[in-house]
Amino acid sequence: MSRPGFVLEVDDRTPPLIVHNGEGFKLERFPLGTRVVYPPEALPPVRDVEEAIQNALLNPIDSEPLPELLTAGMRLTIAFDDISLPLPPMKKPDIRQRVIEAVLELAAQAGVDDVEIISANALHRRLTPNELRDIVGERVFRSFFPEGKLYNFDAEDRDNLSHLGQTRHGEDVEISKRAAESDLLVYVNVNLVAMDGGHKSTSIGLASYKSLKHHHNSQTMIHSRSFMDHKASKMHHSAWRMGEVLTQHVKVFQIETTLTNNIFGGPIEFLQKREWEWSLKDQASMLATKRTLDSAPAKLRHKIFSNVRANYELSGINAGAIEPVHEKTLEMVHRQHLVEVQGQADVGVIGVPYLGPYNVNSVMNPILAACMGMGYHFNSYRGNPIVRKDGALILYHPVPYEFSQLHHPSYVDFFEEVLSESTDPATIEAKFEKQYAEDPWYIHLYRTSYAYHGVHPFYMWYWISHCLDHCGDVVWVGGNRKTVERMGFRSASTLQDALEMVSHSVGRSPSITYLHNPPHLIADVR
Amino acid sequence: MSLADKLKDKKVLVTGVTGFVGEALLHRMIGDLPGTTVVAIIRPKGSLTGTARMAQLLKKDIFKPFYGEGTPYADAEALTADRIQVVEGDLSDVPALPNDLDIVVHCAGDVSFDPPIHEAFTTNVLGTKSLLERIDESRQGTGRTIHYVHISTAYTAGRRRGAIPEAPVDHFVDWRTEAEAGMAMKARIEEQSRSAVMLTKFRKDAEKLHRRAGHLTAAADTERRRIEWVAKKLVETGTERARSLGWTDCYTFTKALGERVVEEFAGIFPTSIVRPAIIESAVESPHPGWIEGFKMAEPLILAYGRGELPEFPASPDSVIEIVAVDHVVGAICAVMAREPELNKPEYYHIGSGARNPLTFEQLYAGIREYFSKHPFDLGERGAVRLPVWKFPGGDSVEAMLRYGERAHKIADAVITRVPRGERTRKYARELDVQKRRIDFLRRYMDLYSEYAQAEMNFVDDNVLALHNALEGDDRTKFACDTAVVDWPHYIQEVHCPSVTESMRRLDVVRKKRNKGLAEAAGVLKKVAPEENTEVIAAFDMDGTLLSSNVIETYLWMRLPELDGPQRIGEFGQILRRLPKLIAAERKDRGAFLRTIYRRYAGAELAELNHIVDEILAEHVLERLSGAAVRRIREHRAAGHKTILITGAVRPLTRPLEPLFDEIVAAELAVDDRGRCTGYLSGPPLVGESRAAWIKHHARVRNIDLSKSFAYADSHSDLPMLTTVGNPVAVSPDVPLFRAARAARWQIVDWKTPSTSSRLELPGVNAR
Repeated sequence: MSRPGFVLEVDDRTPPLIVHNGEGFKLERFPLGTRVVYPPEALPPVRDVEEAIQNALLNPIDSEPLPELLTAGMRLTIAFDDISLPLPPMKKPDIRQRVIEAVLELAAQAGVDDVEIISANALHRRLTPNELRDIVGERVFRSFFPEGKLYNFDAEDRDNLSHLGQTRHGEDVEISKRAAESDLLVYVNVNLVAMDGGHKSTSIGLASYKSLKHHHNSQTMIHSRSFMDHKASKMHHSAWRMGEVLTQHVKVFQIETTLTNNIFGGPIEFLQKREWEWSLKDQASMLATKRTLDSAPAKLRHKIFSNVRANYELSGINAGAIEPVHEKTLEMVHRQHLVEVQGQADVGVIGVPYLGPYNVNSVMNPILAACMGMGYHFNSYRGNPIVRKDGALILYHPVPYEFSQLHHPSYVDFFEEVLSESTDPATIEAKFEKQYAEDPWYIHLYRTSYAYHGVHPFYMWYWISHCLDHCGDVVWVGGNRKTVERMGFRSASTLQDALEMVSHSVGRSPSITYLHNPPHLIADVR
Repeated sequence: MSLADKLKDKKVLVTGVTGFVGEALLHRMIGDLPGTTVVAIIRPKGSLTGTARMAQLLKKDIFKPFYGEGTPYADAEALTADRIQVVEGDLSDVPALPNDLDIVVHCAGDVSFDPPIHEAFTTNVLGTKSLLERIDESRQGTGRTIHYVHISTAYTAGRRRGAIPEAPVDHFVDWRTEAEAGMAMKARIEEQSRSAVMLTKFRKDAEKLHRRAGHLTAAADTERRRIEWVAKKLVETGTERARSLGWTDCYTFTKALGERVVEEFAGIFPTSIVRPAIIESAVESPHPGWIEGFKMAEPLILAYGRGELPEFPASPDSVIEIVAVDHVVGAICAVMAREPELNKPEYYHIGSGARNPLTFEQLYAGIREYFSKHPFDLGERGAVRLPVWKFPGGDSVEAMLRYGERAHKIADAVITRVPRGERTRKYARELDVQKRRIDFLRRYMDLYSEYAQAEMNFVDDNVLALHNALEGDDRTKFACDTAVVDWPHYIQEVHCPSVTESMRRLDVVRKKRNKGLAEAAGVLKKVAPEENTEVIAAFDMDGTLLSSNVIETYLWMRLPELDGPQRIGEFGQILRRLPKLIAAERKDRGAFLRTIYRRYAGAELAELNHIVDEILAEHVLERLSGAAVRRIREHRAAGHKTILITGAVRPLTRPLEPLFDEIVAAELAVDDRGRCTGYLSGPPLVGESRAAWIKHHARVRNIDLSKSFAYADSHSDLPMLTTVGNPVAVSPDVPLFRAARAARWQIVDWKTPSTSSRLELPGVNAR
């Protein structure tokens, strides 16, 4: 049995603790009394994955077994979560490959010929052929890709979108035409964290900008508290309404998988162990890793990190109707991630790691770093944020001025042109969003190259709007002063300095909560 | 009897009245010799007539007390009408003079120490002669006696040593022969510069630098070099001729010969020759510290104050013969009133060394003291560190300088060859500053080292006698005893404050401007749409929009379709030829491109296009500079026509097609089976061809080039940048960097994202 997560109170015996800091980590001594939230240890994995998959497909929840839904001559579309999940990318074989292979097997048995496999990347960048191959596996790739039956969703391909109607709130539901016109849509998800899955899968993953803008906007996102709790997230409410419309038109067979918290293996296993329990071997590999990273040039460091593959084992798989399946899924995710925390703190501390959903095989630019810290990790709560209203948030990340011109061309322009004018999400939305969303060059790059859609950086900025609204102070430890300042934050050299800087609002001896993740956790703040 | 009475009702012709001494003399005559009329020969300059120049002169502050309220004259015009008669004319062709002159003071002359030899003879020798002839003509029929006062220089003594008497310079040089030879040099040297040998040398030197930009650019530089060479040779010839006869430079040499001319006329006119030493700012009149323009010592004083004069080739004990301008003017006035006998010219030395010597060491200490108390405020770095002079002697300073020059040359050769980059440009800029300083030092050391090491002592008994003969308050009005000067006070309280004042004012302006420039540096102004005319924005590709070069992109295109061993083979071949290719690139970009493109022979064009679309596009896009793309899009948004002009092959430009209205690239010729022949279907567009293309395009499409933009990174793009009104040098190489700085073009640094790696080859080892 794995140990649950817990909250450590720092005392004088507590060793320095790991804090993720971009492509590297720090060992930080926290002030006495700091509460450190540790995620639960990895749950025991499913013993036989193939069996579990078969079982889920044959005994779905609130649905006929999959074989009964498959008939010869039907149109079958399989959609899957794109490369933004899981983080870090998992060791081969990817769980999606295993599920898709099982689905295809059943389809073949039923004599289904018309099968298309779509990466549900919405406005994310297209996946390269190699990335597609990594997810679906060599066999599926070879049989489908060359014929154009395995492809990326294109939200700007007007001819291949289908408007399914509006929700009762007047929100447009517009998704992939192929998916909309299929007799069956099988969605293969990786439910890494609680915000994934459910109606978010299809009604966001395969949707167009027209549809997305109803919930991806500053108003909705500021009221999503948090994204990790779909019942309290306005964005999810909208997605759920869209899901209602969608499921009236399309038969969806949802397959959701959950993963254990077993992320870091091999020489970096120490990253998921509790510091005082490090063995001699762990300490040695920590020292070696730290020395190597400290002395390695940036490019090598990047290479080392981008080669990390997570162990991730399957902790559960459920299939069938979207909502009941997602209930089960969330149960499992919560078991793996939830940690009970008593009360809010004056100061929250978050170490932003090297990787977020949008910089796989790329670099984490300042906007993504902000989104990762203030969008994802800050929102990793249920109930209340870990920081009290108008409290301070201290983040760790070097925030270098570094953009991938290939993947994030609109980000660098957003950083230079938009953030230099305003950092207020609502102002930015009103003044710039349309221009970026409709820019032909960004659309061209999104459709033909490997670029995120022109509007995507805006979504990143809306992600953090809840945090911006909630926190009084945001200070980055070790952040590049220029980039941090451009985003409207402040930068400190050390934790002590950061605490000094925020002392005017939280006092000299504030209560501090440090979220010790990844591995992933959700702070259940009572 | 006072001087004013002696010179009452006299008519005095003054030459060089717009010069330093001339102006001071005019001031003194108007003020202190009320009965005297001044006749001034003034050369028309530009659109200004001589009369207008006189009016301008009288508007200067020192003349203002002479007219207006409380004076007999209502305004400057009234003053002129009563006291001054202007004769329009030039000393190279002296006009007819009034026939009622009593005195002539000739203070016009070339004051530069290193004039071209023909100019020195024209002004100092032949000009003096024709002036004397005209004066003689003016008295024909009247039989008047005209007192001729010649302003020469104490340094006509040349390289002689010891006490120099107030007497003719002792030499046997025939001025007619010298003048004739000197005047002939101009044509001779001009002719020599046009010889095939010299022209070839100029052209080769020019091409070394500018061949890449094109023949016309190189030709323009060749001609510039020739003209520069002629000017330098003329100066050199003058100096060498002077030294071969025992003078320091062409100035003192021709001045000495000029005295001979004057002496020949001493039988016609009573003649006085006044020989001032180094004339500097006034002690009393018009006001303490008054000085016009920069004389001999000022550039050095300022350079020292800026910490840029590390050492000087002077002997610390050599005497610097500085005299104040008002003493000189006082002496001239006194001389005017003392007419010598015919055939017995009188000589007057106005120096300070005989009775009140100022050694170089004292001068240095004074200036150092001054700047220690009142340092220049040069920006944010605080006061300048003043160099401490050790006076190691001429030879070691010379050696120091030579060493510096050589070091600069080597550093310059290195900096133009190393890969470009921000740091390279920074070094290049520092090197240019260094070069300017070295050139400055070289020039002034060559000019002045003789004077700073002179061991002469000008006897000034005649001037002292003049001073002592002054009566009443003339003693103060026309004081010419230089012994009264208190040197430390003069240097620190009078001279230095006066000469540094304008510089300090300029520093304030410059500081403001530099601050503005620093803030604007690297920031391009937003482009605005043009209402009535079409505007283009032309962009170069390699090095400007993305970091790449032709060899690299060739490898990108070819390697993906080859298998392992072939790749290694291709790579090896390119590597082996690299030195040759680089040499070719430095010389002629067109030829270089042809060599590279020859290697495409046999490749299928359709396949190349396919490789670009499938594999290279992401690589190209990843390397695009974000700032560059923003700028292109800004131009498009403003309605400008965006054009990509590149020497790269057409397929490579495919990923950029949506950004440009027109793409001009190298077209690979193909055979009937669609395979590349290894040739291009037209000459590659490089250097001047780009400029020609743009000009033609503009003519045909009615485009306003003066409002258009061009962006490029390399020296070979110079002609293209020059054709438009808004050129921008993007991460330029050193030669373009220098050209851009000289022309005050915008320089920006568009960086390729650090996320892309040069070592990753698409389709080979990249993911």
